[in-house]
Amino acid sequence: MILLAPAVTIVALLVLAPLVLVVRNSFATADEYGAVQGGFTWANYAALNDPAYFKVLGYSLEVAALNTLICITAGYVISIYVTSRPPTRQLLVLLLLVIPFWTDFLVRTFALINVLAPGGPLNTLTNAIGITHGPTSWVPSTGATFIGLVYAFLPTAVFPIYASLRGIDPNLSEAAADLGCGWWKTHFRVLIPMARQGILASILLVFIPTLGVYVIPVLLGGGKRQIVGNVIVTLYTEFRNAPLGAAASVVLLLLMMASVLVIGLLSRRLRRSL
Amino acid sequence: MTTTTRFQKLAGRRDKPPVRFMDRLVSLLARLIIAFLYIPIVAVIILSFNGSSVTSTWTGFSLHWFDVLLHDDDLHAALRVTLTVAVVAASASTVIGLMAASAFTRYKFKGRQLLLGSLFVPLIVPEIVLGVALLSVFSALGIPLNTLTLILGHIVITLPYSVLILVGAYAGLDPSLEEAATDLGCNQWTTFTRVTLPLMRQALVASWLLCFVLSFGDIVMSTFTNGVGSTTLPLLVFSRLKTGITPEINALGTLLILLTFVVILGVGIRQMRQVLTQNTKL
Repeated sequence: MILLAPAVTIVALLVLAPLVLVVRNSFATADEYGAVQGGFTWANYAALNDPAYFKVLGYSLEVAALNTLICITAGYVISIYVTSRPPTRQLLVLLLLVIPFWTDFLVRTFALINVLAPGGPLNTLTNAIGITHGPTSWVPSTGATFIGLVYAFLPTAVFPIYASLRGIDPNLSEAAADLGCGWWKTHFRVLIPMARQGILASILLVFIPTLGVYVIPVLLGGGKRQIVGNVIVTLYTEFRNAPLGAAASVVLLLLMMASVLVIGLLSRRLRRSL
Repeated sequence: MTTTTRFQKLAGRRDKPPVRFMDRLVSLLARLIIAFLYIPIVAVIILSFNGSSVTSTWTGFSLHWFDVLLHDDDLHAALRVTLTVAVVAASASTVIGLMAASAFTRYKFKGRQLLLGSLFVPLIVPEIVLGVALLSVFSALGIPLNTLTLILGHIVITLPYSVLILVGAYAGLDPSLEEAATDLGCNQWTTFTRVTLPLMRQALVASWLLCFVLSFGDIVMSTFTNGVGSTTLPLLVFSRLKTGITPEINALGTLLILLTFVVILGVGIRQMRQVLTQNTKL
């Protein structure tokens, strides 16, 4: 059991206990420097009960849901493509997906600034086809934030879906086609239900982290429209209000638990219906 | 009409131009998506060799910005911190992960699933909350933020990946090999060093490199756990990017993309596939 001690100690002392402390701090009062003072108050949650914060929450959920939808769809399309290649080609395409996956996150984000900047590749293209005339910038903008999020999470979304599709016997989709299923029916009645584990895992891997993102909205969105993650960082580093930041973190934690719960229930229900 | 479609018609199969059409569409879409993934990466590499001091105008091939990188002292200081943290965190996570993985594979005990699950908690909790949580503990205990707190934060985020990879690798080991070694007179330690370790070599390399890359590129956890004098490279680059992108940053980007290739070569694509498809089983 001595083998388990370091890992368990780390998780207990540096993950679980700190999370409990965050929950505790979210009920604490702040001193004049914004540090945690102790006591018990609902004031932090009351402060979050404000139209401005609700707007952030609504926008975050919207962005995360849309990002998840796009990443899952694109991830499914790519996975179908990869699994239909012959084995040696499969490795090659996978290599093409692994490179962006392991490319530094910040590099991928500022790489997009190059593409979207005035005079960049996108601008050259839109000038050529006549949508724009002269240098036009797409960054910072809400659209750029969005492209950035998809770019950041798409490689993550692919692998779980690919993993579950890879395990499916290709004869099954052939059988479905022979029995009269069209393309859509083969996918929606046979392949997608069988790949549900991977798809649900991808949804979790995209949806929750999107809510906590803060670099992309700052760099590509100009920091105008904030996501929950931005608010938490702002509360801690600029406003220096630790209890209020803790309360916002607890909200994010609750959103995470709710998502895990929904996915868990969905997974169980799907398993039963199959 | 081609012979195949005529044949299909003769054979009475209701097969289906739409199927072909959709398959083609999927291939086309997949290629477009892959292109989407590569356009920015290629743009960074090309622009880093641009002689101009403005990223958007091309004035000819130049290595000037790589030279600027070589003489950027702030950057070097940040790189030193980042490398130290990444090497220590990757090594610690891999060793601790190996110990945990061997315990989980070898012993069946009560609460095993629960304990294993708890090690994966940092995978689902948003990293920003993990960062906030650690910061709260450090400030409650009055621990000053420095390289050590940074390392602890990075161990928290890399350990689950190491456990994931190594538990998977252990599960793939044939237990009779270890038994044979014991029967042939190896004690526990020599069995471990002479049999288990060599068999696990590939997985250990993968674990170390992946933890290294995760730590090296991390920005969220670092935001909360870095202190004065322990600014990491991503934090420095992020603060510079707030005022706009420079060719120097693109040059740095090119070097980091090169690092990705080294890591992928080090792990190997087959092993990489195994690693990346493992988290579905959670």
